[in-house]
Amino acid sequence: MDFRFTEDQLTLTESVRDYLAGTHGPEVLRRLDAATEQGNAPRDPAIWQGLVDMGLTALLVPEEHGGLGLGLVDAALIAAECGRACLAEPLVDTAFVGVPWLLAQGKSDQLAAIAAGEVKLPLPHAINPWTADGEGAAVQSVDPLRVLTQGSGPDDPHLLNLGALMSTAQLVGLADAMLAQATEYAKIRTQFGQPIGAFQAIKHQLASCAVAIEFAKPVVWRAAAAMQDGIASAPIHVSHAKVAATDAAMQTAETAIQVHGAMGYTYEVDLHFWMKRSWALAGAWGSRAFHLKRVDEAVLSGTLEIGPQSTFA
Amino acid sequence: MHLHYTPEQEAFRAEVRAWMEAHVPKEPLVTLECKEGFDQHVEWERTLASGNWGMVTWPEAYGGRGLDLIQWLIFEEEYFRAGGPNRANQNGIFLLGPTIMEFGTEEQKKRFLTPMAKGEVIWAQAWSEPGAGSDMAAISSKAIRDGDHYVITGQKTWSSRAAFADWGFGIFRTDPESKRHKGLTFILFDLNTPGITRRPIRQLHGDTGFAELFFDEVRVPVENCLAGEGEGWNVAMATAGFERGLMLRSPGRFQVTAKRLVELYRKHEAEAAPSAREAVLQAWMAAQAYAYNTYAVAAKIMAGGKIGAEASLNKIFWSELDRSMHRTAMQLLGAHAELKRFDNGSVNQWLEGYIFSLSGPIYAGSNEVQRNITAERLLGLPRVGAG
Ligand SMILES: Cc1cc2nc3c(=O)[nH]c(=O)nc-3n(C[C@H](O)[C@H](O)[C@H](O)COP(=O)(O)OP(=O)(O)OC[C@H]3O[C@@H](n4cnc5c(N)ncnc54)[C@H](O)[C@@H]3O)c2cc1C
Repeated sequence: MDFRFTEDQLTLTESVRDYLAGTHGPEVLRRLDAATEQGNAPRDPAIWQGLVDMGLTALLVPEEHGGLGLGLVDAALIAAECGRACLAEPLVDTAFVGVPWLLAQGKSDQLAAIAAGEVKLPLPHAINPWTADGEGAAVQSVDPLRVLTQGSGPDDPHLLNLGALMSTAQLVGLADAMLAQATEYAKIRTQFGQPIGAFQAIKHQLASCAVAIEFAKPVVWRAAAAMQDGIASAPIHVSHAKVAATDAAMQTAETAIQVHGAMGYTYEVDLHFWMKRSWALAGAWGSRAFHLKRVDEAVLSGTLEIGPQSTFA
Repeated sequence: MHLHYTPEQEAFRAEVRAWMEAHVPKEPLVTLECKEGFDQHVEWERTLASGNWGMVTWPEAYGGRGLDLIQWLIFEEEYFRAGGPNRANQNGIFLLGPTIMEFGTEEQKKRFLTPMAKGEVIWAQAWSEPGAGSDMAAISSKAIRDGDHYVITGQKTWSSRAAFADWGFGIFRTDPESKRHKGLTFILFDLNTPGITRRPIRQLHGDTGFAELFFDEVRVPVENCLAGEGEGWNVAMATAGFERGLMLRSPGRFQVTAKRLVELYRKHEAEAAPSAREAVLQAWMAAQAYAYNTYAVAAKIMAGGKIGAEASLNKIFWSELDRSMHRTAMQLLGAHAELKRFDNGSVNQWLEGYIFSLSGPIYAGSNEVQRNITAERLLGLPRVGAG
């Protein structure tokens, strides 16, 4: 029993965080957004290539197919970093959802190409009324950096769980980033002769977000470990994570805009990218209601053993 | 991230379970907050000690079993699974004990830890004063050096179980000229020392769970000072870290409440509001989240890490979880909620629990103060005003 990440996991996560912080700041989001005004997709082959060069498309691909052969816990950590950076390229879908899904079906023909960054996998699923980065006619998301196309897909339970899991990891990363932005703003904006962050009304709201995020994260990591280990109750833990991460991200988004005042209500301030991604991922791969119902079925009907002796049931 | 128990850990769980099933009282004890209940709970502490379960993480030399924090968590899970009573000596074993372990001399460890683990000496915490609640640096009770004694004069209040306990640990101003955090010293004292008057205070539920302490030139030997003279604030902060960060409220306590709440919901499902159903699920989810986080903190400490200001997040989370779980139960109970005993004669534990849960956001540093700490130390927002 060891609820910790390995040194390797922490080192990898930090290097991805640093890389994205250095190459994928808000100015990149603004640039991609501006591209859509010209009618272009908010995608950039150079950004994608950077992720490929970092080895991220190969993360979960087994070594015999030219990948790194890492697990879902590693992927969840990196997905959280993608959320923190509000990354729009379909890395998480392709490499952290699509790859393990192919592996679970024993399909290996595309793995080498995915690892090499040559293939991006759209993942149509019945739970979503759209397909992200798919081929069909465009539908518009509130998130200007999401590329959605028409067309749903089959109702595959494993794909649903993988998609939901990775959205929870992105949500906690998004929440972290929004809390950091609101906190920074609270330090520099002054009113009544002091930084607004010195007002307790502001402090306490931000502190409450910190609590929500702190206690959503371990649920996400636990769900990732459960999926990685393939334990029978894993879907319930994914659903638990989806509810916890959604709540933490939505609370933080609403707090962050409030702390920014009217600035937060503008398109100028970058916060909106993170908020909109949060709204999108909160609904993607099963809404809060969908996932709460799965928890409900397990906990109230007694199919899941509960109580102090069953922490890791 | 390895979330499976080893065979040794499973065997340990089985050992704890067997012992608890054989020894935990079948009927709930009378509340710890009155003399009769206190005596029953002390009796239970001695039973626990007879099985050497007093404080499993302490070294064997001090009455423990030398176990690690994962084993402690397993022990706690089984303790709450079996319905183990509240710990009469919680302020001793969870707060003072770890503090002595860190700051005490070898002589103090020998003298105080074993009797604490064995439930032979029950401890009360005496920090708060009428003028020093959240603002603990406003402490004014004095301990003036006189040869090899301190002479204590002043008043403490809200001291849990002090009406019945044996010893107290307090913070006193040893430098009368000092201000705020400086000049404070951490001193242990026998509650029966001449000059100490205890005045029990009735709590919300009507029992005398805490007490006021009046000190009138009370002479306490200098060797009862923990860490150096003037070190009181630093020592107290370490104690508060243990209190909020890990030990005081282990997850099993909330997981068992969540489980009972699920059972209560099933009984009242027909007339329950939809919002109650969601609140019950939230209870289970939050209790689980708290457990995962505790396992993560335990793993971090075992690897040599420390608990910092994130202890405040912990304290906010469990106290608000406890209150909301009991509020939900009160809603489910409807007109039965106000009854002190149900028709079958059993005590309304939900009511008792709800009342107690209202104190969680106040004691161990109020949640407003914890949110200040979170904002200032974890998020780095500016400190203004009180310091
Ligand atoms: C059940 C129970 C058991 C206790 N046991 C013990 C014990 O064993 N030993 C012991 O020493 N003490 C004990 N206490 C006392 C406890 O530590 C204090 O109640 C606590 O520190 C708060 O102090 P106070 O009651 O004076 O409230 P106050 O400090 O007067 O606070 C009143 C309100 O003002 C708010 N407030 C105060 N300062 C600030 C600030 N800076 N910013 C924002 N809001 C603020 C508080 O959050 C609270 O809501 C116990 C209390 C309870 C309820």
